[in-house]
Parts: sequence; C-alpha cells; structure tokens
Amino acid sequence: MGSNKRFILSDGVQVRREVFGLLFYNYRGPRLFFVPTRGLIDSSFFNGRQTVDDLVAGIHERHGWPASWIEDRIVFLMAQLEAKGLVNGQCVC
Amino acid sequence: MANAYVEMGLSAPVNVTWEVTYGCNLACVHCLSDAGRRRKGELNTEQCRRVIDTLADQKVFQFNIGGGEPLMRPDFLDLMDYAHAKGMVTCISTNGTLIDETVAARLDHKLVYIQVSLDGATPASNDPIRGDGSFAKAIQALECLRRRDIEVSINTVLTRLSFPELDRLVALAADFGAKLRVSRFRPSGRGKRSWLQLNLSRDQMIAFSRWLSEHLGVSTGDSFFSVSTEERRQLGLNMCGAGKMTCCISPEGYVYPCAFLQDSEFVAGKLPEEDFAQIWHSAAVFATFRSLEIKSCESCHRFDLCHGGCPAIAYHTQRKLGLPDPQCLVNCVTVKKTAAGRPR
Repeated sequence: MGSNKRFILSDGVQVRREVFGLLFYNYRGPRLFFVPTRGLIDSSFFNGRQTVDDLVAGIHERHGWPASWIEDRIVFLMAQLEAKGLVNGQCVC
Repeated sequence: MANAYVEMGLSAPVNVTWEVTYGCNLACVHCLSDAGRRRKGELNTEQCRRVIDTLADQKVFQFNIGGGEPLMRPDFLDLMDYAHAKGMVTCISTNGTLIDETVAARLDHKLVYIQVSLDGATPASNDPIRGDGSFAKAIQALECLRRRDIEVSINTVLTRLSFPELDRLVALAADFGAKLRVSRFRPSGRGKRSWLQLNLSRDQMIAFSRWLSEHLGVSTGDSFFSVSTEERRQLGLNMCGAGKMTCCISPEGYVYPCAFLQDSEFVAGKLPEEDFAQIWHSAAVFATFRSLEIKSCESCHRFDLCHGGCPAIAYHTQRKLGLPDPQCLVNCVTVKKTAAGRPR
C-alpha cells in the first residue's frame, strides 16, 4: 500500500468522531466498528481530499513523532479498514 | 472492548427508536405501545422534519421506526424520503398489512431495512395474537418486498405462543430470503395485561437460551443478553444501550432512554422544541442509566455476558431500577434446581 493513497468511505458506511477516536457504521453489517485513534484522525479524512502522506505530515507537525513510525501505523490501520470493507483506497497517480 | 468505548460516552446515539404514531390497524395482545387510534399531540409533518434535521446534524446513523403502524401516517413515506436524503438509514418495523406493490416501490431504497412482524408461522398460530387475517396480509407484504429485493426480516415477539413456532419461523423467513429476529416481550403497553398469560415459563426460557446458541443466524437486537450464551458473545454488545447508544422518541416527541420505558418519570426532554444535543448530554435520566449498576449481579459468573440484563423488565416487574433482570438465566436455573429439589 502506497502512502500517497486517499481513502473514501465505502457505500453505506458512515463515520463520526468520538472521544476514543472514530466510530464507523456499516448499514450492511456488522454495523459498528470502534477505532481508537484518539484525536489523530478526523472523520473528514475519509472525504478523500487528503492523502496518507498529508495525514502523516500533519500528525508529525503537531506531535513531532517520527514520520515513518506514524506512516506504518496509518498504513496498517487503513489496510484493516479496507479489509473490513469500510473504506476504499485510491492511488493518487 | 466495544463496551469500554461506549462507557466513555458517545457524542450522540448510534440509533434512535422513533415511534411515529400510536395509530394502528391491528390490536396485538402484546403491543408495547398500546397502539390503536392516532392521538392528539402526535408530531405533525413539519415537526417530524425538524426531528430528522436535528438527528442528522448530530450524526445519528439510524432510525428504528415503529409505532403503532408507521404506514398509518399519510406523510410517512415522504418523511422516510426526507430522512434518506440526509443519509440516514431507516429500519422500519411494520405489520405489513398496508404494504402493496405501490408502497413497496416507495420503500425500495438502499438505506431502508424492513422488519415485518409475525408471531406464528401459520394463520392459526399468528392471528390469535395479531388479529384475524393479519398473517395473510403480512405474507403478501413479504412477497411484495421480495420481488423488489428489499432487505427484510421477520420480527417475532417471544411469548409462550410464539416459542414453539421458532423453527418454523426460521424456515418461513428463509423462504423469503430473510432472517428471523426475535424481540423480547415486556410488560409495557398492552403487554402489562397479557404478561402473566404470555410470558415464557422458566423451562421455556432455558430452552430458548439453548435454541439461540444453536441458531446464531437469528438476530435478537434487543436485550436477550440476560439469557445469552458464550456462543453469541461476539454477535453484539452484551449490555443495555439505553441512554448510552440509543434512545427513543415517542409520537409526541418525548425523548426516553428506551422504547420500553415510556413512563413520565423517564422523560429526558421533548422534540423538536428542545435541543437534542443538550438532552443527550445533560438529561438527568440519561445520567442515571449511564451510571446504573446492578450491584447484586456483579459477583455472578455470567455478569460479563449480561451485565444484569434488561432494566426495563426489572422496572416493570419490580417497579425499581437497579435490580436484576427477573428472567436472568442463572435465576431460571437456580429456581429450577430448587423446584426439582436436587442440585446438579
């Protein structure tokens, strides 16, 4: 998975921000998926305007954590969300 | 783990049960709403739109629509169109009697899920509970919905009469490409009057628990966690979601923790005139439910599976919150042991 990908919600999936992170809802079921991202990822990330690179850069700037460490975790999370059918990745070529 | 996230407090309900009218063309003996005629004070079309606006703004994902019979409202289909235009999923509980090809066409939307109520797999077993001719009309509705490939389930309230029908209801649902969903019978509405007659016996409740563990494809949705077994642990949250993940709006716009606690002492607010976010975050009755502890259950080996069961059943049978679900599986087994006079 390249980090220049953008992600959009799959058809029938909604997401909102919660105290613990993100709450995904898939009306096709299983319905709920709790993702403990804390405040690191906003639900607006999934409108497809930002790439993973953009997201990593933003988190790095705010928290000073190593970019490669952030990227590994974001890429892992997005792979999980894709595998569960909650999001679709689109490569920015 | 999901329970821990819910306990942290959600920004809004995941779903809201909305009883849109008391009007109903049937008179089921177990009706939790005591539905029949439409009543003075039910929200009008404009007020309903404002409720939808408010909940969409709060990012509530889903409406569970009930009543009464929702289709008794002349504006019902327009209201559903309005909710779908805002991206809200609607799960509509209906008796099916008013669904024909035209109505099915209006309901044919990707955000719609329909539950058709049946309490028996034949007219002989269903109609004494739901009314003469109701079985045939519900089957016609299921056929209309199947022709349009609309996602549907058969919803059955678990009573002494429907319990022996469960296997046949699973098969009937499968005939329509549907699942069976079993709802819990509660002593509210007309259920208060039929409770003693229709409530499951202890032996039946134990047998039902076993049956559920063998039928993982059957959904329950609401508060059978008091009899849930290890096999179903992964199928959903094992705790009451009232005031935490869900709440209920009555036909007049009153907000309650759940559909089975629509007594005046449980009113959290009123829509559309009051702010829903304020109600959700600040209503005293919701705070009560979020901190509700069934202390006497905490040492039970099943506590992790049921968290004390359904507060509504405990309230209606014992007039107090914070008491154990009287149909708790351990209680059932304990009583059975005592009655039999021999410990296992």
